[in-house]
Amino acid sequence: MSNLISADPARLTPARRRKWLTDDTLTSLSLIVSFVVLCAFFASQTPFFLTQANLSTIASTIAIVGITAIGMTLVLITGGVDISVGSVAALSGVVTSLLWLEHGIPLGVSTVLGILAGALVGLLNGAIVTYLKINPLITTLATFSIIRGLAFVLSEGQTNLLSNEAFNFIGRGTVAGIPFSLLVMLALYLVFGFILRYTAFGRNLYAIGGSPQASRLAGIAVTRHLLIVYIISGLLAAFSGIINVSQLASSAPRAAVGLEFTVITAVVLGGTSLAGGKGTLIGTLIGVIILRTLDNGLVLMQVSSFYQDVARGFVLILAVGFDQIRLKLGQLQRSKGV
Amino acid sequence: MMAENTSAAPLLEMRHIHKSFFGVKVLDDVSVSLHKGEVLALLGENGAGKSTLIKILNGDYTMDSGEIYLNGQHVQFHEPRDAEAHGIRMIYQELHYAPDLSVTENLLLSELPRGRGFPGRYIIDWRQAREIAQSRLKLLDLAIDPDVHMRDLPVVERQIVEIVKALSADAQIIVMDEPTAALTPPEVEMLFGIIRNLCAQGVAIIYISHRLDEIFEIADRVTILRDGQHVATKRVDEVKLASVVELMVGREIEARRKTLALTGQESQVVLEVQNLTKLGAYEDVSLKVHAGEIVGVFGLIGSGQLSLTRSIFGAERPDSGSILVDGRECTIRHPQDARNAGIGFVPVDRKVQSLIMGQSVRKNVTLSNWQRLARMGFFQQRIEKDHTRHWVDSLGIRMAGDMEVPIRFLSGGNQQKTVLARWLEANVRVLILNEPTWGVDVGARSDIYDQLEALAQSGLAILIVSSDIQEIMSVCPRILTIYRGRITAEFHRESVSKDELLAAAAGEAV
Amino acid sequence: MTTMESTAAAGSRPTGLRRFLRASEVQEVLALVIMLALIVLVMASNSNLFLSPRNIINLLMDSTTVGMIAVFTTMLMISRGLDLSVASTAAMCGVIIGTSQSTIGLWPGVMLALIAGALVGLINGFLVTFVGINPLITTLGMLSITRGLAFVFADGLTIPVFDLSGEHQATYTAFTQLAEGRLFDIPYPILVMSGLFILGIVLLRYTTYGRAMYVIGDNEDASFLAGLPVRRYRMIAYTLSGLSAAVAAVFLTSRLYAADPRAAPNIELTVITAVVLGGTSLAGGQGNLFGTLLGVLILSSLLNGLKLQSVSTELQNIAQGLVLLLAVGIDQVRQGKIDLGLWRLFRRQARASTQ
Repeated sequence: MSNLISADPARLTPARRRKWLTDDTLTSLSLIVSFVVLCAFFASQTPFFLTQANLSTIASTIAIVGITAIGMTLVLITGGVDISVGSVAALSGVVTSLLWLEHGIPLGVSTVLGILAGALVGLLNGAIVTYLKINPLITTLATFSIIRGLAFVLSEGQTNLLSNEAFNFIGRGTVAGIPFSLLVMLALYLVFGFILRYTAFGRNLYAIGGSPQASRLAGIAVTRHLLIVYIISGLLAAFSGIINVSQLASSAPRAAVGLEFTVITAVVLGGTSLAGGKGTLIGTLIGVIILRTLDNGLVLMQVSSFYQDVARGFVLILAVGFDQIRLKLGQLQRSKGV
Repeated sequence: MMAENTSAAPLLEMRHIHKSFFGVKVLDDVSVSLHKGEVLALLGENGAGKSTLIKILNGDYTMDSGEIYLNGQHVQFHEPRDAEAHGIRMIYQELHYAPDLSVTENLLLSELPRGRGFPGRYIIDWRQAREIAQSRLKLLDLAIDPDVHMRDLPVVERQIVEIVKALSADAQIIVMDEPTAALTPPEVEMLFGIIRNLCAQGVAIIYISHRLDEIFEIADRVTILRDGQHVATKRVDEVKLASVVELMVGREIEARRKTLALTGQESQVVLEVQNLTKLGAYEDVSLKVHAGEIVGVFGLIGSGQLSLTRSIFGAERPDSGSILVDGRECTIRHPQDARNAGIGFVPVDRKVQSLIMGQSVRKNVTLSNWQRLARMGFFQQRIEKDHTRHWVDSLGIRMAGDMEVPIRFLSGGNQQKTVLARWLEANVRVLILNEPTWGVDVGARSDIYDQLEALAQSGLAILIVSSDIQEIMSVCPRILTIYRGRITAEFHRESVSKDELLAAAAGEAV
Repeated sequence: MTTMESTAAAGSRPTGLRRFLRASEVQEVLALVIMLALIVLVMASNSNLFLSPRNIINLLMDSTTVGMIAVFTTMLMISRGLDLSVASTAAMCGVIIGTSQSTIGLWPGVMLALIAGALVGLINGFLVTFVGINPLITTLGMLSITRGLAFVFADGLTIPVFDLSGEHQATYTAFTQLAEGRLFDIPYPILVMSGLFILGIVLLRYTTYGRAMYVIGDNEDASFLAGLPVRRYRMIAYTLSGLSAAVAAVFLTSRLYAADPRAAPNIELTVITAVVLGGTSLAGGQGNLFGTLLGVLILSSLLNGLKLQSVSTELQNIAQGLVLLLAVGIDQVRQGKIDLGLWRLFRRQARASTQ
């Protein structure tokens, strides 16, 4: 055996990169660098950028995208996608306000039920994807219109004011000067980051995204995992919807329009691959922060809000484009045996 | 190493297995037995019933009738999980792994070690996982880093990880389906080392391969299936290659007449490659192919010949060197340029690299000749059909139905002929073939060889790249050997022995 | 069985629909025709207005924006591409026409809009083929960019497109005629949409470009190794997709007398729904325009019928989503891809009976 291996050492001991310099770390590093550059740019352009007031503005408005992005990251890791998150966020707000205002159900219970409605949509998405085997993009595109329509139908197109001290705290309260929603978001990142890294459930998601076949052969209950992931995505989107309602003190069927776009941009920016099997929550978090900072900085520079869409699109394409080029160069280098 | 065990009770017995699909008998009273610590080769042409038999053993299919005994006990497998619980493991031809996960995780995919109680039983014990992975790799004396991502491993090591995966403590039988398809010869040797190691530990192996020379090297016994029936089971040391082939095909395969004579240097040079170099793949390659000549490039897989042929065809970019067709230098940046210069290319993997599986025979035949079949971008349908019919007839492409039948319904040999037809239709002067009979049944091979010789006689210049020494020696009058990206020697078929060729391809001084 | 029968019946020389469709596609198209007939039947029984000539014209007019774009989205999806940016690009092109009135004039503005649309498509194509970014991401990014640009150019306002000063009456009459003019009582946009469908069918059936779409969508590597200029074909497909959005925008602007940066909201989703409904697969290599046409008609009859019964737009959205799921779901069942546990149940029973 051992002399067989030494027979052709060149072939059997390939040049490997140092362990810590993985693709994931490289992506995170380049994200952090671009974040720093972005901050430096805004700080040099406007004196308001680095003020405490502005930073807390950023901090208090980041949770909606940030929390939804967690679910989206999980879904993308399994090789799926969830376009329905914006509609789900609107639905949960509408359901909550409906139950509270019209049916007199205590707000706490209504809120929980609103969030559960999101979970139900997630279950529906997951069931269609796994049992009917319909492409996740098509599935969630359909539920995207269905759920948004449902939100309109349930609310009859009305915006409902919704204010209650405890409820307001979810979106606007602070703990030791830090927005409560931000704390919740960070806690969720810790929890799900831990799940992805250290639990069998989390690792199975990567395995499923990397090779559904291998996972099935290894006896992983693929269907159950996918169901759970879509439920989590629905649940978190619904929770973001509640935060949104709390921040605006009103629920509207038009809420969170385009949320899916922002969230997917952030997640992909953070290095999660649409092909599945790859992605980290750290990356997603940085992606979310970069997008939020970009929006905020442009507002401070008094750039027309119309340019924000343009900027976001550019950031998405540039980020993924550079990543792609880097990958190609890396492959080229590897194939040259360097 | 096996002699004493064969007399003992068999580890596995499959008795009188019958299986039909939609009334068609796929397995007809097949019985197979397997002993502890032996390698049993399962042979047969495509459609002989090998894979059905394996899937029945694996619990993937249910048999219509028959019995399976394991260690003398009657067992029934309803699902792959049942077979797995009895220590039967499959290693599939296509590897199934998660590329962005580490070796450790792929090894322990569904059984990562966890702690106890709540929440411990949900949390992976990474240190223990790595230790288990390491110990399993050690079992086979492997120096693979368990922390590396699968994506960063060479193919052979990925394959080995798959084998290790199949080897949990209770594995009794491992089924390997074409495990060497993607491996280079030293890697095959390494795999064989592992197989011998396993057998010494008492594991039994069912080995399926198209490469008969491998069978003679690794197997203890062969079981041959044909048309769903058990034809023979023999000890490898008691049979000859020719008789095995005969049993597989059901008729005697004549030794090929070597019809094509060596073309003299008087005929025109059609393809000339000068000092072609691509760092890391091949270096300073020069060769000439004359009109009416078949030149073979023989080398072990992974010697740079794949990259070389792709470069001549414009699918890869060489670093330096030049390519001349009919004495004129061509700039080839894209397969399109190569085709326009009159070069055709038949890649190894038909399904992935040549065929448009969902489209008809006609559209596959004419794929490379749109320029001449279409006027102002519109296909001239009648001409297209006439041309296709011509090639179907003259190459003898057989199919169920007319030329509008999707190509995926054709046999491997007929599919390969369709690819030949595509380049003839494109009117190329040079044809480069990579492993032309890969996955083609033994019976259909000589048919393709005949076609190639006929084409050469009609003036085509043909360059065949192959790692199959029999193929090279039976069709190519002039043979070049390639080793580590360099052409090492040139031979004439009549004046070279198998051993000399192998030595030159292994880089030994001639 | 049916497949074999229909092949046999069609003989060696396919006639009628079989000339353009494969046997399996004929089944799909028939299923869609039945679906359309059912919807029409239900809608007509609920409202007398539904089958009135005027409503039918209205219905078809409403489908033109989606229809014109869907022709080229179908081709793109057959070649395994995707373009989500079409609606925003249409909005941007409309705004370009609107803002050009006061600078370079209306008709040069139309030209500029068409060029801009094609350019957006070209950039999408470049990013997908040469940089290698996933089409979903590329066109999602482009969706954001062009929608943003539409707002930037229009300053967020709706720009009226008619003769404010009264000086260019002829020019504006001609422009308005684009949407209002009729030939044989059929409005131009419907004719143009039909023309584009016919063009598309001919392209897909008879030309190298059309065959390239199928071949590349089926197996890109093999197409490349057969010497096809794969990237060029892909670039053309994306460019045509962008151009079709611009064409749709011209007619939309003419019809609305205005350029609105909010125009064509979520139309990209309706387009994809129609195309997928019509049997084109996201996985590439298969699809046809008869299906897409039926998909467009099914969606617009459904929405129009619901509108006649004063069902809110939101409920219409729900209906649209349900139709998509239903159609794709039925297709999955038909192709036997769905495992509803029936198979396992069947196996278990078979096992029980053998024991």
